[in-house]
Formats: sequence, C-alpha cells, structure tokens
Amino acid sequence: MKEVRVLEIKQSIFADNDREADKVRSELKEKKVFLLNLMSSPGSGKTTTLTRTIEQLKDRLRIGIMEADIDSDVDARTIAELGVRTIQLHTGGMCHLDADMTRQGLQGIGTDELDLVVLENVGNLVCPAEFDTGAVKNAMILSVPEGHDKPLKYPLMFSICDVVLINKVDVLPYFDFDMDKCREYVHMRNPNAQVIPICARTGEGMEAWTAWLEQQVRAWQNDDQ
Amino acid sequence: MHELGILSAMVKTIQTVAEQEQLQRIEKIVLQVGELSGVVPSYLESCYPAAVYKTFMENTALELEIVPGIARCNDCGAEFNAVACDLQCPECASQNLTALSGRDLVIKEIQGC
Repeated sequence: MKEVRVLEIKQSIFADNDREADKVRSELKEKKVFLLNLMSSPGSGKTTTLTRTIEQLKDRLRIGIMEADIDSDVDARTIAELGVRTIQLHTGGMCHLDADMTRQGLQGIGTDELDLVVLENVGNLVCPAEFDTGAVKNAMILSVPEGHDKPLKYPLMFSICDVVLINKVDVLPYFDFDMDKCREYVHMRNPNAQVIPICARTGEGMEAWTAWLEQQVRAWQNDDQ
Repeated sequence: MHELGILSAMVKTIQTVAEQEQLQRIEKIVLQVGELSGVVPSYLESCYPAAVYKTFMENTALELEIVPGIARCNDCGAEFNAVACDLQCPECASQNLTALSGRDLVIKEIQGC
C-alpha cells in the first residue's frame, strides 16, 4: 500500500475553469470572433436589449446568439425571428455557465463567419460572476425597478463587469432610483466600468451602448487587445 | 445551488491535479473559504456528498479553514473585519472598501496516494 502524501496545492477552486476559459479566449482570438458574456437578474430585459442591439448592429456585424437557460427555448425563438444565428443551451439545472459549457455552445453554433457572439447567461447575479466563460468582455444589465443599491449587494458581479447597462430608464419617475448613487456604487466596486443608461423598449441610449460594443469588437479583431 | 456548482468546479480542478501527480486515491481535501467569498461553509459541507457522488472523489473527507474577511477603508485607511463590521468602516462609516483577504476559495491541500 502506498503511503498517503500531503500535497500543498494552493490553487483556486476555479483553476481548471480559468485555464479552460483562457483557452476558449485564445481560440476566439485566432478566429477573430468576439464573445460577450451578458448577465443580469431575471426580468431585467436581457432579451429585449439583445433584440434592439441586433437590430442596430446586424448590418455592420455578423452576430450569433447563445441563449442559456435552465429550461425552455422561448428566448432562442424570439431571437431567431430576427434572422441571426441562434442556439439554445440548457444548463441542466445549473445556475450559471462555465467555460466548458461555453465551448460546447460555440461548437454548436459554429463561429465561422461571425464577428460577435453574445452569450445570454442564466438570469442570476451570484453564480455567473464566479465562472469565467472565456468571454472577451463581461456586460450586465441592472434595471431601474431593481434599485440603485444592487452594486453594494452583489459586489463580485459589478467588479467583473466592463460595462453596466441601466435599463428601463423610462420608468425612472415611478421609482426611487438614484442614478448618481448607482454610478458611485458601481465605481466603488469597479472604477473602470462603463455605466450606460438605456431603455431597450423605447431605444433611448441604445446608440451609446452599440457604439461601445462595436468598438470593442473591432479592437479585438484588429489586435488592439 | 451556488455551493453545488462551485464544488463541481473544484472536482474538475482536483482531477487535473490528481492526474499530474498520479494519485490513485484521494482521502481528504482541505479548502480555504474566505469570509467574503459569498459561500456559506455549512452549505458547502452539506452538498459536498452530492457534488462528489459517482466521481473519483466519492468517499473523500472535506476539511474547511475559514479565512477572515479583512478590508481597508479607502477613505480613512482603517483596517477591520468587514463581516463583523457589516461592510462599513467602524471609524468613519464609509462603505468604500478594498478587501485585503477573504475573497477567495482555495484548494489548500490534497491528501492521497
């Protein structure tokens, strides 16, 4: 019988996922495909925001959408009607996507002749923040009815996001949502995060968001990142 | 659910290490759980058997070490336990803090042969 060894590992629990995510990113870099990981809580308007985004960008970028949900394919059907390449991923009960599942999704959708793939992550502000999917940039949507204090309550999510979209600004008059406080709280968690107020329903602010996104995609394709 | 997904990620990371180190059998793992990691230690313990069920880690023991969540106030420079102080500086009441320790989930040790 072999003797029991004690191995001092000192590795993050997520080490394997982080390595896999780096691999996904370098493969995407080679193919000049930009992957955006879009996160939010349920009901913040991810699918509506995506619909508007696709409408504004589909003549300039070749777009694919990966819809991740615990179950159903209602989101994928909505997006497919816009005429972009779409795949529905089921997480089998899991509340987030990891790098391995993202790779399977990318294989399923096929990244040839695409500029931008958006991964619509499972609606959840906790678990998706822990798992690097291999995306080039992380975006999240915070909607006005959720309240301006969310960056304080979900610090990890806000600290990993490159851009925070504040959605549903058309209902600001009806809620005690303080936009300045919200910006301050986001920047406490992440000084480099862009904060862009939008209303996906009316289209307000959408140009600022799609301009940011298109610029990120071009920079990635032109080796500026 | 949160803890179960995290433990499933851990099983994959340990599998990679076990292959590199040519471990045939794992007896015990020691995890360091930061107080600011967002993970509840008792939930980790209770869903551990489900996370390792039918994997090469079935029947292994789990030991947890808690790492205190120490933060520094970005306004007055005070250092304190962020959890005990409810994420607020006890000196100047600022919520503008930087975590110094306790954010991570680390596999400290694997015992096996």
